[in-house]
Amino acid sequence: MKKIAVIYFPGTNCENETKLACDAVGMQADILRWNTKKDLDEYDGFVLPGGWSYEDRIRAGVISAKDPLMQKIKEQAKKGKPVLGICNGCQILVEAGLIPGLKDKVHMAVAPNINPVVSGYYCTWVKIKNVGKKNAFNAFYEEDIIDIPIAHGEGRFVTNDVQLVEGLEKNDQIVFKYCDENGTINAAANPNGSTANIAGISNKKGNVLAMMPHPERAFFKKHLKEKTMNNFEDAMSLAAAAKIFESMREYIR
Amino acid sequence: MGDIDINTINLDLSDKELSALIKENGLGFSIEEIKKLPKILGRDPTITELHIFNTQWSEHSSYKSSKDILKQLPTEGPTVILGPKEDAGIALFTEWQGDKYGIAMSHESHNHPSQVIPFEGAATGIGGNVRDVLCMGARVIACGDPLRFGNPFGKNKNRTKYIASQVIEGIAGYGNPLGVPVICGDVYFNESFDDNCLVNVITLGLIKEKEIIHSHAPKDAEGFDIIIVGKATDNSGFGGTTFASVILDEDDRESNRGAVQVPDPFLKNVLFRATEAVFKIVREKNIPVGFKDMGAGGIMCATTELTSSACFGADIDIDKIHVSMHNLPPYMITCSETQERFTWICPKDFTPTILKIYNEDFDLPSVSEGAKASVVGTVTKENNYVLRHKGKIICNADVNQITQGIKYKRESRQKKYTGKEPSIAEPDYKDMCLKVLSHPTVASKLACYKHYDTEVQGLAVIRAGEADAGVQAPIDGCPAGLALSADANPRYALIDPKQAAINAVAESMRNVAAVGAVPIAMTDCLNFGNPEKPEQFAEFTEAVKGLAEATSRLHLKGTQGPVPFIGGNVSFYNESAAGKSVAPSPVVACLGKLEDVSKAITMKIKKENSTLFLVGERKDELGGSVYYELHDHLGKNVPEIDYEKEKKMIHSIIDAIEKKLILSCHDISDGGLLTTVAEMMLGGEADGKIGASINLDFSSLPLSKILFSESSGFVFEVDNGHIPKIKKMFPDAMILGETGGSDLRFTAKDKQFRLSIEEMKKAWTSGFTEALQ
Repeated sequence: MKKIAVIYFPGTNCENETKLACDAVGMQADILRWNTKKDLDEYDGFVLPGGWSYEDRIRAGVISAKDPLMQKIKEQAKKGKPVLGICNGCQILVEAGLIPGLKDKVHMAVAPNINPVVSGYYCTWVKIKNVGKKNAFNAFYEEDIIDIPIAHGEGRFVTNDVQLVEGLEKNDQIVFKYCDENGTINAAANPNGSTANIAGISNKKGNVLAMMPHPERAFFKKHLKEKTMNNFEDAMSLAAAAKIFESMREYIR
Repeated sequence: MGDIDINTINLDLSDKELSALIKENGLGFSIEEIKKLPKILGRDPTITELHIFNTQWSEHSSYKSSKDILKQLPTEGPTVILGPKEDAGIALFTEWQGDKYGIAMSHESHNHPSQVIPFEGAATGIGGNVRDVLCMGARVIACGDPLRFGNPFGKNKNRTKYIASQVIEGIAGYGNPLGVPVICGDVYFNESFDDNCLVNVITLGLIKEKEIIHSHAPKDAEGFDIIIVGKATDNSGFGGTTFASVILDEDDRESNRGAVQVPDPFLKNVLFRATEAVFKIVREKNIPVGFKDMGAGGIMCATTELTSSACFGADIDIDKIHVSMHNLPPYMITCSETQERFTWICPKDFTPTILKIYNEDFDLPSVSEGAKASVVGTVTKENNYVLRHKGKIICNADVNQITQGIKYKRESRQKKYTGKEPSIAEPDYKDMCLKVLSHPTVASKLACYKHYDTEVQGLAVIRAGEADAGVQAPIDGCPAGLALSADANPRYALIDPKQAAINAVAESMRNVAAVGAVPIAMTDCLNFGNPEKPEQFAEFTEAVKGLAEATSRLHLKGTQGPVPFIGGNVSFYNESAAGKSVAPSPVVACLGKLEDVSKAITMKIKKENSTLFLVGERKDELGGSVYYELHDHLGKNVPEIDYEKEKKMIHSIIDAIEKKLILSCHDISDGGLLTTVAEMMLGGEADGKIGASINLDFSSLPLSKILFSESSGFVFEVDNGHIPKIKKMFPDAMILGETGGSDLRFTAKDKQFRLSIEEMKKAWTSGFTEALQ
């Protein structure tokens, strides 16, 4: 069985549904506390779920990024194991420098949303599409449009390195972008003002992914905002976002 | 009574001196009440005892005015696992893989604090309510928030807008980090709430019947440890219960701030997980325990209730309680309402396990300064409540005397409502439709819900605003779904509190039925004025009569019995210093159950060329309606519920949805028929694209009354192939029109009116936002 560690930092609040998503695609997930004494070598992959770890003190993700456990996760990532950060987990990966991970430093920020209509924390359903080549998390995606919710106050990928985004595009590190219902990537489809509509970025190797939308909340058809459920079995069929976890499973040898 | 080691306070004083003593100590006693103390204790009280009885005898803790009246409410039935006895009631939900599952449900108010410090007040409202549900052993899965604010365009508009925005932020600021989704709620604006907003909270939790944890000491608990876990005790919220039972004077706003607790959702998040870890071991090893949240009355209330309910006493050393402030007087430590705390009672040999889970595994002391689990005392065989401080006994009273509280028979005198039906000239219909849609009560609350995390925990199937009730699938892999709605129209209550209560019950049931769920349990939060004033107390008694009557007559589906109340709360003294009471507000919440959550439907029109049915006769019942409000009238004719018809209609809707004969459904309420159809076109996100044409020539009423009467009913969309079946199930229903096109067309008396989706959307999505700006 492929074993996944879902990390609970103080303040994380999506660990249960994230574990459920991992288990539902045939992996076996354990929820590990930040102060766990377990050996991470036991695990084949890692997920940093959403929440408000360490109360978002200073800035979302900063304190967790400095947590001793993150050093260990970095080492595991270096071994090529998949690491998925969702929402607050995404912010942690960016603050830890694992994303974009080109230099050993914090190279980007996930800044407060800019949205002309809703200020501050914003929970809504959006559409994203895969724009990257194959990595640990998008092996199943072609041009699919994925229905998925966001729920954050700080989800805007930014950097002061003007060359960076171009470099990321070149390296195929930009994995998901916000799009409209036709798959067009435009400003109207961008819920938080993220640079180039970026919703998810991987490291260069493709085994670490930081994404703001929540695939574990768009996992079954019953979750989706727009849906027709023929029966309960149909309601429990996997939705598009579940492929992120399936891809992770396939990536683990 | 027991011996004590410190000086007592002489109460053998004149009324004037007693009154001065009450004021000086910030107590809420009446003169008559404080005079009872020496009789009960057999001596004068210590300062700590004085505060203990003061807290327990407050209206908030003792229900002294309401207890007898509330007995009318039905609380039993086949869907009740636990009635309104402990911190939360529990309704039987479903059986799944050999286990019986219940839904724990609690419903409370946090009105006074929210008026004084709205962000913190609303946040701690959520915080306290979720603790009630957790402490039953349940996993907290959902919240609902019925809110009432003042007139956003009236003389207090700035304060009202501030309070409304801050309350919404406070709910988001607590619920989001904690990770509890908001699944329903409503917002009304009315000037009667100018000086007293109402912030009600409903919390749901999932629990297996065999895993319920009780808030009383177990059998044979003598010698068990009493453990306090969570935030270090400080002076915050001291006097909170007394404060909840006083009339707010705007001039005292600053001095009242100290009575509001300080919320910490971050610590609560960790506490919840640590507590769940304790639950797990308690269940695995079958350890006898008692567990209770610390809310009103703090440590004193939790420890006395845990022990007295099982016929024990307690011996507590105040010096062992972890505190974050030096030199707090002991009565403050025992009665303050510091947030994020719980009490455990457990066998001594289990104590190290509890301490390890909180203090080491979840490392509370590192997570939040001063937070931890501490053993503070033991359960005693004698019924005395003993508190020790610096080696001296400072309280030694009969624990049953403390928890028993007091009771009043309040005088009740109904005020005669003298309002009349207005005569209003027929309006410009199109213009009036848009005005109704943009009225803040009717307008979309999307701007509010977008600040709430509706998705966390991954249980959502239908979100707040998408339908008349929120729907969740709470058990992984199990088809059973739950639905939740909360209702109470304040303007109906200004005319007739009893009818308002009946309407609240009926509407909450209609809302739950509109998604396809069977109403299985109710809770109530009764927000009223001053019970010492006979006219205001009569509003309360009338409303309770209405609740009892409506739930008894609108039977639990499949039975001849009532839909039971499994929990509730009373909030009195929602009265301004000028003597103005809030509109009587018997807010009810209705919990519904779907056997198969995949059959749940929203209100949004699903396709073109289907048929729209109307069930529920349009009547000249616009008293309290939005239409009258737009003309500055209250009117007189509040909608009346015909119980037999209503019951049949609600149950037929549920059956038709279960048989998959209905594509979308919406109940008729605020704004009337026109609003119902418009909202079905727009859908929860106001992104609907399918229009409708309807014919309104079915009634002899003036067109304005057909469009805007809020008489009970439903509009629902049916595939043309199912029309014969629907006609059979609803002999009284009529075809209202059909779906299609991209606008709303209505025909009446040879006239045609047309509203484009765009103009309706603009009106409907702007009204609420503008009210808050």
